Amino acid sequence: MSTTPPAIAARQLSKDFQVKVRDPGLRGAFAALFRPHYRTVRAVRDVSFEIAPGEIVAFLGPNGAGKTTTLKMLAGLLYPSAGAVSVAGFDPWTGGPEFKRRIALVLGNRQQLVWDLPAQETFLLNRAIYDIPLPDFQARVGELAQLLGLEGVLDKPVRQLSLGERMKCELAAALLHRPPILFLDEPTLGLDVSAQDAIRRFLAAYRDRFGATILLTSHYMQDVTALASRVLIINRGRLLYDGALDALVARIARTKRLELVLGDGVTEQRLAAFGTVKSFRSPNAVLEVPRAEAAATSARLLAALPVVDLSIEDPPIEEVIRQAFAEAESEAEA
Amino acid sequence: MSALALWSRRYGAMIRNAWLVDLQYRAAIVLWVLWGVTEPAIALGIWWSIAGDGAVGGYDRADFARYFFGVMLVNALTIAWDSWQLDRWIREGDLNYRLARPLHPVHEALADNLAYKARSAGTIIIVWLVAASVWPAVRLPLEPGRWALVALAVILAAAMRFFISFTTGLLAFWTTRATAIMELHAGVSMFLAGRVAPLALLPPAVATVAQVLWFPYMLAFPVDLLTGAAPTGAALMRGFAGQLIWLAIWITAYRLAWHRGLRRYGAVGG
Repeated sequence: MSTTPPAIAARQLSKDFQVKVRDPGLRGAFAALFRPHYRTVRAVRDVSFEIAPGEIVAFLGPNGAGKTTTLKMLAGLLYPSAGAVSVAGFDPWTGGPEFKRRIALVLGNRQQLVWDLPAQETFLLNRAIYDIPLPDFQARVGELAQLLGLEGVLDKPVRQLSLGERMKCELAAALLHRPPILFLDEPTLGLDVSAQDAIRRFLAAYRDRFGATILLTSHYMQDVTALASRVLIINRGRLLYDGALDALVARIARTKRLELVLGDGVTEQRLAAFGTVKSFRSPNAVLEVPRAEAAATSARLLAALPVVDLSIEDPPIEEVIRQAFAEAESEAEA
Repeated sequence: MSALALWSRRYGAMIRNAWLVDLQYRAAIVLWVLWGVTEPAIALGIWWSIAGDGAVGGYDRADFARYFFGVMLVNALTIAWDSWQLDRWIREGDLNYRLARPLHPVHEALADNLAYKARSAGTIIIVWLVAASVWPAVRLPLEPGRWALVALAVILAAAMRFFISFTTGLLAFWTTRATAIMELHAGVSMFLAGRVAPLALLPPAVATVAQVLWFPYMLAFPVDLLTGAAPTGAALMRGFAGQLIWLAIWITAYRLAWHRGLRRYGAVGG
């Protein structure tokens, strides 16, 4: 058993918000003016987990599930209603500047870059804020610019940059002080495929080079499959799953997909005898079969039909996650 | 020494960035300076015509001219727009990354405040110097002792207005109407701080109310010191005591609002 203390630990973490509720229409608005009603929204409930140094963990969940709220509690922005947090050995709420030097927070929908100025001006500002010696600063800007492909970008006003360039600069600005812990909220939001890919490759390289711990939220499954060895699935404020992605697939997905390239003369009807036909566009077809029977069904198919190619795949990860949420919902209702 | 160097570098970098952003919006700078000149100029015009060749409440035309030039300069040196900025940071979530940095957001607000003050007060001093070269009424007595007192009163007034504005902005943690409250404060200060008339000309009941609040210490007291209509002796001491007491009260209010507000903060999104 490892004795290394976790980089991030959350114990029984909860956060409630008071939300003002009012009836629709003018009358409701008027009534709320004099007698406001509040409803407690339990954004995060009893969430516990630990993340080891150097791990990349993805936080998954639908909108409003509590991912960002948890991230903000870990970064010391929100005060928990209950529970305890330890990040890099600090309580984020009382850790002060020493704690903040050890983290970076990147919010995909908010930027710290000064809109009207080139990104390098924000870098200089961060150099002063984090008290980075000049030689270190120059070396790090050079290194980050090279890793992120920022040549010719840093001296253009931020408002003239593309979304992808902006996010890369945003990451560079957040990492100049070389934090060991990164909180990334939707870092690839709205980016095109190649920019998403560049950000992913950069994050993996940053972790490998500096041993950083990364906790990220994302809606893009590719972020998760490419980066994270482990996922935390949260829905309605509760942690539903904490573990490896593969293990989740094995637990949730009761089916496998047989992706086929068929020879001449195979009809959809003939194929349907072996399982559920998910798609049929000759010569390609996708067949869904019970997980335990995948190997046996494949053998029967190969024997019975002219199959040019066959591969056994897990269902798409989006489908697995959807299924995990649906199961949790029905368990909660029961 | 190294802590001083660190803070100088931080403030230097923040003020530099604020000026770099300003340079992108040169037309806005001209508008703000015009706004700073227009209000006292209109008030002066009105009192100028009311005073005629005589005096109103002991103020003749030259006194009014000196007073409103003083208002123009002291206002530029003490003004604080921070509540608008803070309200936006809180409501739109721009406070988030500021809270994740090892620098209290109040420092950024203060650096911005110093940056725009230096810009607008610098311009207004030029306006004054040009006016004083052709108009003896607005020339000021050059007594070093008085200037030192004026400088102290202006610094205390600027600090107080900064904390009033910042604390009012913090109300955005609780209400979406924080800037409306600041507008109301600005409206009241038109009369009680001496922006539209010297306090000596206010109805006695209004002047009494003003004396027990912070408004006169924000503007009228340093203006009176600057123009030479200043109180002396016990009244002078009372003026500085009033500034110090109200500054302490507003700093306490700021600390309270900051700590309570952060605990309440809903950090936009997610």
